[in-house]
Amino acid sequence: MMVTAILCVLLAALVAYAVFGGADFGAGVWEFNTAFRSSERERKQLLHAIGPIWETNHVWLIFILVLLFGAFPSAFASMNEALFVPLLLALTGIVFRGAAYAFSAQRPAGTAIRWRVAFALASVLAPLFLGVCVGAMASGEMQFDADGHFVGNHLSGWINSLSIFCGFFTVGLCAYTSATYMMRESVLSGDADLVDLWRTRALAVGTLMGVLALGGLLLAASRYPLLWQGLAGRGWPIILISMVSGVGSLRAIHRQRTNVAVIGVTVTCATVVIGWAVAQYPMLLPPYWTVTNSASPDSVLALILGVTGIGAMFLVPALVLLLKIFKS
Amino acid sequence: MEDLLAARLQMAFTLGFHIILACFGVGLPVLLLCAEAMFLRTGKAVYKTLAKRWAKAFAVLFAIGAVSGTVLSFEMGLLWPRFMGTFGSVISLPFTLEGFAFFFEAIFVGIYLYGWEKLSPWAHWCSGIPIALSGFASAWFVVTANAWMNAPRGFEWIDGAVVNPDPIDAMFNPATWAQTTHMILAAYIVSGFCVASFYAWRILRHDDSRYNRIAMSLGLILGAVCMPPQLAVGDWAAKVVAQTQPLKFAAMESHFETETGASLTIGGIPDMENQTVNYAIKIPKLLSFLANGDLNSEVKGLKDFPPDEIPPVPVVHIAFQLMVGTGMLLMVHAVWSALRYWRFRDHFFECRLFLWTTTGMGMLSVIALETGWTVTEVGRQPWIVYGFMRTKDAVTDASGVPLIFATTMVIYAMLAIGCVSMLRLLASHPVDPVTGQEASKPQ
Repeated sequence: MMVTAILCVLLAALVAYAVFGGADFGAGVWEFNTAFRSSERERKQLLHAIGPIWETNHVWLIFILVLLFGAFPSAFASMNEALFVPLLLALTGIVFRGAAYAFSAQRPAGTAIRWRVAFALASVLAPLFLGVCVGAMASGEMQFDADGHFVGNHLSGWINSLSIFCGFFTVGLCAYTSATYMMRESVLSGDADLVDLWRTRALAVGTLMGVLALGGLLLAASRYPLLWQGLAGRGWPIILISMVSGVGSLRAIHRQRTNVAVIGVTVTCATVVIGWAVAQYPMLLPPYWTVTNSASPDSVLALILGVTGIGAMFLVPALVLLLKIFKS
Repeated sequence: MEDLLAARLQMAFTLGFHIILACFGVGLPVLLLCAEAMFLRTGKAVYKTLAKRWAKAFAVLFAIGAVSGTVLSFEMGLLWPRFMGTFGSVISLPFTLEGFAFFFEAIFVGIYLYGWEKLSPWAHWCSGIPIALSGFASAWFVVTANAWMNAPRGFEWIDGAVVNPDPIDAMFNPATWAQTTHMILAAYIVSGFCVASFYAWRILRHDDSRYNRIAMSLGLILGAVCMPPQLAVGDWAAKVVAQTQPLKFAAMESHFETETGASLTIGGIPDMENQTVNYAIKIPKLLSFLANGDLNSEVKGLKDFPPDEIPPVPVVHIAFQLMVGTGMLLMVHAVWSALRYWRFRDHFFECRLFLWTTTGMGMLSVIALETGWTVTEVGRQPWIVYGFMRTKDAVTDASGVPLIFATTMVIYAMLAIGCVSMLRLLASHPVDPVTGQEASKPQ
């Protein structure tokens, strides 16, 4: 019961990070994709859009880490051992992204090219390796001993076809979310050229993502039976929602119905994360750690939940205030 | 280099970097609020300019602090997986709370930084209050976790495993109150003296403007006001260490022999082979008094502890002496500032010696901060959780940590250079000496 509640909170934080953080990363991915040939106007718009809320996105990730080690300490420890290298690489991306943004936001006009490059590269690096971590976990191919300690190779134990697929899929998802959100920003600011630009980009990457998603399902079906069982057995309604909302969002983007598109993309992104979580449940770090054999005692879980509830009472009004001031 | 040493250096270095930024995150909002409040009261442009420019500097420091803080939250798991795996359930509470405090702070930082035009002046000032409060709270929560590593409790220890964790009991451990108070005061002192020292230098080398004088005064007041309580809290913190970690206390003082009426050792270089301290000044009976409030009480010496539990004494001793020494100099400067204000108010800023000394105080406050942190951390070695888990048993078994450490040094050097050049750029924009407004931009 307590474990389920904690898992729900964890999943909510993950979804929030995937959606908001993903859109944020995506802005940098587009800088990368366009090889820094974006116009001054585009860049200004990007910086403006992520300006007031970028700081908060850091925090989702920290919150996820804290929840994991408080509620599932032993699984958290093994996760850190097994994913040592990809986590470090993702962290490097997060560091450079934050730094580059901090150093360029104060002077958007004359931003040095080196910080732009750092921002773009880092924005790809972070979601790529966070995605790799998810894929490596979902694959269930990492090796643990009888006590759940990681016994594989630190350098290569996390590399398999699923982890690599998930890395690139995550980057694509970020780009798709971001392009759709930016299209809405452009509509709001009434810039027809930019609306067109982001619409084309969103359509292109969205179509690609649809094909990739089908490929991913095939990959799971053919090579990862454990994951496939979860996806087909328990996760199919969520995958169905994901597919419908994905196609729906593409249609809405095509017809420039921006609000529908934004909702569609958000739902698609959220259901991808939820689908993975549901398929993997009750495994936390397959094949060894489950949500029950690694959970802290109920008293600790209750405390974390209580604190989360109290924290939310402070945070939700503050977030509403933030969005009211800047996004209305 | 062995992996354990590299991991320890990595942690020490990244924490030592973050702690400075964290101090500004706690202290600068208070200065910002003061400057903006003065603007609201007097309507003088110079205060608004000050608040706006400090806000920009704060934005840079906060953003880099958020980054270096994220690094730390990753490193806890990446470098010390067995520590987190064993004790995660015990110490999760302060980190969860800290996460919320930081989240809250980040939201209001967004509102404050981008809201100058969107909010009424009073509403804008009010949006700064949660920043100062949550900065304070973040520091408090995080330091309770460190205090717990020094004085662990709130769990039962059976066969090397945690049973019945009680996170609330762990959070309010015996070291918590003294350590958190000491740290938060230090944050205000570092922010205050660093700001004062920067503007004292500007008065000396650039222009003796009203803007610079006000900025220096605000910083100096914050730093100086916190100094006297800090001395009292420092004494309290030492007494807590003497009770909860007598071994760390003995190492801080290089106190080798157990004796009653022990004398206080000031300065000197510990000689571990001969078990003496060279070139030190000794004050009879004072150590017993400082440890227990009784001139003739017994203070246990290093010789009476198991040899494999003794921390690197010279490092701890010298760091402690440096912290106390620089702290005393800061106190003297605080008194001097107060006396000057009392007797020479009209030409407070005209004594060049005073301005030069103030310029040096920023660096001294940072030295006090870093050496104090060294005492707490190195003094706890070889334990990561005092008495329960050794640092060597907590470290990751992944190889290549020295390489990671080297890379980290390079990345952090870039961060530091970027941060400093950004702050210099922000400060280089001229302020009109008459109106106190920012001069129009030279396009």
